[in-house]
Amino acid sequence: MANSKENDSRQLRPGLWTTVNERYPGAMITKTDFVPLAELKKPLSESRLTFVSTAGVQSKNSVPFDTVHPISDYTFRPVPSDSKPLDLEIHQLKYPTVGAKRDLNVIFPIERLQELAKEKIIGGLTKNFFSFIGYNMDVERLEQTLAEDIADAVEVEMPDAALLAPA
Amino acid sequence: MLLNYLNEAAASGDAKKLIRYVRLHFGDGNEENGRKEIDKAWIEALKIMLDVPETKREFILETLAEKDAATLAHLFFHLHFYFVRRSGEWIHDGEL
Repeated sequence: MANSKENDSRQLRPGLWTTVNERYPGAMITKTDFVPLAELKKPLSESRLTFVSTAGVQSKNSVPFDTVHPISDYTFRPVPSDSKPLDLEIHQLKYPTVGAKRDLNVIFPIERLQELAKEKIIGGLTKNFFSFIGYNMDVERLEQTLAEDIADAVEVEMPDAALLAPA
Repeated sequence: MLLNYLNEAAASGDAKKLIRYVRLHFGDGNEENGRKEIDKAWIEALKIMLDVPETKREFILETLAEKDAATLAHLFFHLHFYFVRRSGEWIHDGEL
C-alpha cells in the first residue's frame, strides 16, 4: 500500500478502514481460503453479463431493504437490467447517496452497461441484476445464506461473466 | 465476527459492549454520535407527548399483547429512526 497519509488525503473519511475494528469490534475478518477467478470462455463481445452490487438499489415496487435492523438484512433484490434509473431507488444508510441520487450510474452503472450491450462491446445482459445491502454483521449468514442465494439466482440467468461492485 | 462478539457479550451479561454497539449502529460507527441520536429520538417523542394528544392506546396495548418480542424489538429500532427523521436532523449518509 502506498503512503498512508497520501491515501488518507484522498479519502472522504480518513482512517476509516484502520479504525473499523475499533468502531465495529470483531468486524475485520481474514479469509484464508482462496477461490480462483473463473476464466472467461468466450470473447467479451459474445458474453452475457450480470451485475451484483451491494448498493441497496432496488425497484420502486419492491419491499425496501431493512436498513434499521442492527444485524442487517440478508435478502437480495433482482433488478431488471432494462430498468431506467427513475424505476429504481436506494435503501442504504451507510454510504453517501447524494451523488447517486443525481446520477444512479455512479453507484449502480445500469445505463452504462445497457450502452455497452447496445454497442455490442459486451454480448448482452442477463434479464436481472442483483442488489443487496453491504452492512452485514453476521458474516457467516452473509456467506452461507445470502451469497448462496444470490449465486443460485445468478446461475438461473446463465451469465458468462459477472461484474461485482461494492458500494 | 461481530455477531459472535455480540452473542458472547449477551451471554456474559456485558451490557457495556451491547449498548456500545447500539450507539455505534445509530451513530454510523461513532459512539458519541450514537448517544446523541438516542437522545434525539427520545426528545422528539417526548415533545410530541407534551400536549397530551389523543393516541390510539388500544392499538398500543393490543400490539404489545399480541406481537412477539422479536417483532417488537424490530419495531423499536424502526421507531428510533422514525423519530430521528421526524426531528429533521438527519446525520446518516444514506436513506432508510
